Amino acid sequence: MNLGEAAQIFAFGVFAFISIAGALGMTTTMSMFRSGIFLMASFIGVAGLFILLMADLLGMLQIMMYIGGMLVMILFMVLFSNDPGGDMMASMKMPFLERFFSSGLLPQKKIHRDSHSHHNSRNNNNQADKDEGMNMGMDMSMFTSLKPYAAWIGLTVTIVFVLLFLLFPDWPVKNFIPDQDSSHRIGMLLMGKYMMAFEGAGLMILLGIYGAIYLARPGKHPDSKDRNDPSSINEEPPQAAEDPIEPFYNINLKELYEKSEDEK
Amino acid sequence: MGIILSLAAVILLFSAGTLITILIEPMLSTTDEEGPASNSPKNNIYPVHPDSWLYNAAPAVALASMAAASVVIPIDKSLAGADIGIGLFYFIVIIDYMVLAVALGGWGSNVPESIESCYRIIAQLVAYVVPLGLAVIGPIMMAKSMSTQNIISSQSSLWYIVSQPLGFALYIITGLMQVYRAPFLEPFSNILNNGIISTYGGWRGKLWRISLSGILFIVAAMGAVLFLGGWSGPLLPGFVWMAIKTFAVLILMKWIGQRMKLLSTARMLELSWKILIPAGLLNVLIVGGLILMGVGGK
Amino acid sequence: MILTWYSVTGLIILAAFGFILLIYAFSRKQKEWILNSSKWNNFRFSFITFALIFLSFDMEMIFMYPWAVVFADIGMKAFLDMLVFIAILSSGIAYSWGMGGLNWE
Repeated sequence: MNLGEAAQIFAFGVFAFISIAGALGMTTTMSMFRSGIFLMASFIGVAGLFILLMADLLGMLQIMMYIGGMLVMILFMVLFSNDPGGDMMASMKMPFLERFFSSGLLPQKKIHRDSHSHHNSRNNNNQADKDEGMNMGMDMSMFTSLKPYAAWIGLTVTIVFVLLFLLFPDWPVKNFIPDQDSSHRIGMLLMGKYMMAFEGAGLMILLGIYGAIYLARPGKHPDSKDRNDPSSINEEPPQAAEDPIEPFYNINLKELYEKSEDEK
Repeated sequence: MGIILSLAAVILLFSAGTLITILIEPMLSTTDEEGPASNSPKNNIYPVHPDSWLYNAAPAVALASMAAASVVIPIDKSLAGADIGIGLFYFIVIIDYMVLAVALGGWGSNVPESIESCYRIIAQLVAYVVPLGLAVIGPIMMAKSMSTQNIISSQSSLWYIVSQPLGFALYIITGLMQVYRAPFLEPFSNILNNGIISTYGGWRGKLWRISLSGILFIVAAMGAVLFLGGWSGPLLPGFVWMAIKTFAVLILMKWIGQRMKLLSTARMLELSWKILIPAGLLNVLIVGGLILMGVGGK
Repeated sequence: MILTWYSVTGLIILAAFGFILLIYAFSRKQKEWILNSSKWNNFRFSFITFALIFLSFDMEMIFMYPWAVVFADIGMKAFLDMLVFIAILSSGIAYSWGMGGLNWE
């Protein structure tokens, strides 16, 4: 086994590890943003496998699609979720994998401690944070009643595949090196054999644009109040309880807000 | 030995170009802004509630994407990092990872201006990718290849700036969007309190300065390769021509950018989708027509 | 050939990460803190339709790159095919412009 083959096997191992670790991180982390980034890392691992098989244009196309798509998808996830950063869930009791992939989300330092202390703690302050943060008192890790079934099905499928791999090892391998100029080949195929698929893909993209414009039309319901623009002025103070004593001044905050908007 | 030489060439190109850009950029600025990362805090700041994986990974991803992007830029006829067969496409993909790096930095620091800056940075990605692709399709069509050395050698008869001026204009404008200089610097401007840079102090701010200056140099170098013929030239050696052309494109980008007033993110997205993309599609059709009539190419 | 090129790329990326790790190892750890509460929940963005249409056009760009490489060898047929493709997508942009989709919120 010369240096080239050893390097290829090593690279294959690295990219396979990145793909699996990225997928594992995506499903177990508590932060939405990190979940998207782990998915991107997993697809970079798959793109590396493509490059090892000498399909470099496909590998680069994979990477390009996923950087654009993942960033936009992360934006949508962050928009529609309650806890995009993961800091509310991170302070709860979790099993080991989820705790590992959600590490680094909690505050590094207590805010009310004085800054002369030289205690630089970078670990999760699980116990101390439970006093300050959410104290649910019960185990909030992701548990559904279908977890045992899923585990058994996964185990069965894995054992079946490994047995197939071990019992039928004679995979037909073609004995030539693929064409190094893959973009030329793909272009010729697109213009020749796959022309209808090419134009059909254009039509499907058009349908996607129509759907996007229809879905993003102005809605009938107003936005929820707990999301504010940075350009909004200070929110109104919370309503005082029913107070039998009359205040001796009357300020209407809404009028003040509208007046300052008109002045702008 | 060839690999060692090419690695050394890449490192040399990257470092020298970045340092020269950091030095000359304040001289080129007529307005007050000196580039997106010049005002990082001097003291060693750290946010109290960051996402520490993302916050610490951001400068690393930025520097890695800069280094990987400078692999495909040829300095001389036989001196490039690696003449990848799909070099131009690879370059565009890797520069997109710079956007990922600044977005990670923005989200990771968990400070309001940073998060807003992260959203505007992703808006800038949405704005520049498609016009940039349409602008560089022109040279690919005329050179019949995506490799940078092939593009340079097919410009031996006529530079592409002469035959595709619309493509060159599109490349300059989207290049400015990629490097966050005027008029597209809203994510890093004073409105957002310098954006993500205000949360990276001390040596981390210097790393961002290196990355964000390096990307200007590298985008200008690729513009020189694509439209001005790279290292080809009559008398002087290849790398001298490459340096002259790169700095010409850099000075042109800064000069044009500073004549225009700053665009907000909303205007920039409208500019991109209503003007640049139709112009890009028109450019593709024009270049196709030129090739069918026999102009350009080998 | 391909593997040589990409191994150079991989080596350079690893070198860049190694350089950063070195800088992290030798840096000062004494910090001052930016004190604020967690603000991940508070913001929304306004360029939804732009982002959705951008995804579609990203897919278009994928098809244009291999086409551009072989265009000069095939000639008129490739030009007409791409003309149809661009017409399909331009009608998409025209529709979204007319329906007011290309507006900031």
